[in-house]
Amino acid sequence: MKKTIALLLTLVMVFGLVASMPAYADEEIVINFPSVWVGTDSKAPYMAQLIEQFNAENAGKIKVVVEEQTDYQGARDKLRTTITTGNTPDLCILDTTYDILGYTASGKFMDLTPYLAEGWGEDFVDGACDAWSVDGKVCFLPFESAVFTPIYNTRIFNEIGWDHFPATYDEFFQFCEDAKAKGYNAMGQMAGENAWSSMLWYSLIVEAIGGKDVYADGLDNPAFVEAAEVLKHMYDYTFDGALSAGAADVNGHWLKRDTAIYLNGPWWVANLYKEENAVDGVLLADDCEVALNPVYEGGQGKGGLVTTVQAFLAAAKQDDPAKEAAVVKFIKYITDPAHVSELALSSGAMFFVKYEPSPDTNIISQKLTEVANSADFTIIHVNGAFPTAVSTEFPAAVSALVSGEVDAQGFVDQLKLAIEMSE
Amino acid sequence: MKLERSDRGPLVAFLGPAIVLMMVFFVIPVIYVVVLSFMKWNGIAEPAFRGLRNFTLMFKDKAFVRSVQNNVIWALVAGFIQVPLAMVMAIILSRKPKGWKFFRTVYFFPQVISGIALATLWRAIYNAETGLLNGLLNSIGLGNLTGDWLGQIKTAFPAVLIYWVFYIGYYMVIMMADITTIDTSYYEAAVIDGASDFQQAIYITIPLIKNTSLLTCITLASVMGLRQFEQVYMLTNGGPANKTSTIVLYMYKKLQDSNYGLASASAVILIIIGVIFIVTIRKLFEGRGDKAAQRKALKKARRALK
Repeated sequence: MKKTIALLLTLVMVFGLVASMPAYADEEIVINFPSVWVGTDSKAPYMAQLIEQFNAENAGKIKVVVEEQTDYQGARDKLRTTITTGNTPDLCILDTTYDILGYTASGKFMDLTPYLAEGWGEDFVDGACDAWSVDGKVCFLPFESAVFTPIYNTRIFNEIGWDHFPATYDEFFQFCEDAKAKGYNAMGQMAGENAWSSMLWYSLIVEAIGGKDVYADGLDNPAFVEAAEVLKHMYDYTFDGALSAGAADVNGHWLKRDTAIYLNGPWWVANLYKEENAVDGVLLADDCEVALNPVYEGGQGKGGLVTTVQAFLAAAKQDDPAKEAAVVKFIKYITDPAHVSELALSSGAMFFVKYEPSPDTNIISQKLTEVANSADFTIIHVNGAFPTAVSTEFPAAVSALVSGEVDAQGFVDQLKLAIEMSE
Repeated sequence: MKLERSDRGPLVAFLGPAIVLMMVFFVIPVIYVVVLSFMKWNGIAEPAFRGLRNFTLMFKDKAFVRSVQNNVIWALVAGFIQVPLAMVMAIILSRKPKGWKFFRTVYFFPQVISGIALATLWRAIYNAETGLLNGLLNSIGLGNLTGDWLGQIKTAFPAVLIYWVFYIGYYMVIMMADITTIDTSYYEAAVIDGASDFQQAIYITIPLIKNTSLLTCITLASVMGLRQFEQVYMLTNGGPANKTSTIVLYMYKKLQDSNYGLASASAVILIIIGVIFIVTIRKLFEGRGDKAAQRKALKKARRALK
């Protein structure tokens, strides 16, 4: 009896061990993919289609399971927690450029360099992958790019009596005065939430004043203080309540056509073509024109452009070679130039993948691409250039600056303290 | 009382699971947080000891100092304005005036709505351009008082605090339940002696709930005030200029920055403030037992009525 019980227990144990072993080669491999390209995100419809297509093509072998993350900040927090706790997702999207240093050093991400060297790297914009490699490893693949340049409403400009976008910041503020006199907001600012719009405007001013090497000395470059003065001045020409406003307020004013200039990433272009945003049958895009960042008198930024990597793709390091191959296969599928071309067309977003733009690409996206291609140099936006602590502190620093709690130097000092605390 | 040997087994069986759970989910995490508060750790690399630097940096940061101040104000307002308001309502409704059930439901109703939803609602009410509050002020000719309630330094914190003060239902229900357990003969005797409703409340009800539900509610409310997060996060995210920040929000922001050492240090300060609050409240209310309190209350009532 005892022997029978011992045998049964052994069998149960063996069965338990076998059941918990890695998947066999002929079993379906499941790729866990927490994605922010869901819900109302402009890339969501085509990404969903692409994943469905991939799953159908690999039915029974590979299955991509999307974990929907509709909130960017929530997604960042969750990603950090999963990495910390050793549960790095099979595939993930990262939009905080500064974090790639620490994440790569953690050794928890797959090194994609060997795969890129096999020819896949040719699909990417020259130098893009190398630019974001850490210690010679490309764990974070630059995928979605973004350029930040003003888009303006020509109808409002005409009404105010302006037939061109201001070429200099002096002219810019003259325009702001004229817009205000006619009851328009010159631009949208927000110090609530993550102060995204103000951070972008600040980045543009910093670029215009400091030029391409503005980040070389960290926040010690005097351009940051001077740019803070300019940013504060801009708040005189935005809508009421900007200090507590969020993205919805800025976008709402722009869509209501009471704001003359809009600044956001290219992913927003799709909204300009939406029927629901049309007024009297006229699409907002029909009244829009792409502009260049004005030149700052005495500044070094002429010809420069503010950009960023809006999304990196990264995969967890795998012990199972079959799973690693499956994950790489899926990343290659997403970054396939033909698929990226479709994704760009449907969303308006820009990418680091070299693709043939669809002839149906909208005018605004085409112009943004022209602006990107004609830039003499680029810098990334302020949030991307410094540790995350700066982007966390930015809204508080802006509201302190605009409220008069601190002066421009105090604003920069507040950001410096945030860096000091994070080091 | 001395334990018999035969009592030890059941004692261990009953207390054991609770002690294990307490250790795993409370004691060990708290010790871990205290240890981390002396470390520099980004969650990825190995933690490195940095002594008191997290604490010195934190107290150098105006945002943290402001967060501590706000939390203390919040806890005091909760304990000494919100709970007394709840107590007044509990006493009134315990007298069962006409429609008391309706009002009890109305006051309690916000408790079943999530804090996030309420904050979203109030964010809309406070909106500078389309908010109900500014609309109301404009419609009654007080347009000069309108403003960006959540964006102006002077109004942001009061705006965040004020609406919350009136959500008294939870404490009101606790105190109402306690009031119903008071022996009605006390009130009958007081009525015979000619005591008014107000005198009955002051000399019978309040003394008899002081050491029970009132103390519980003040402790709970103060603790809730100290751990405020979601309302502030949703309404202002600590802005403008960190003027509405709280310790938990500060901690959350440090976690966002992968600064686990600083986040833990702020948690340690929160624990210390919490302990100080609870001990102080206990000391303030430390009194005699229930029977002694009842006797004292009755004597006091009789003296007052003579």
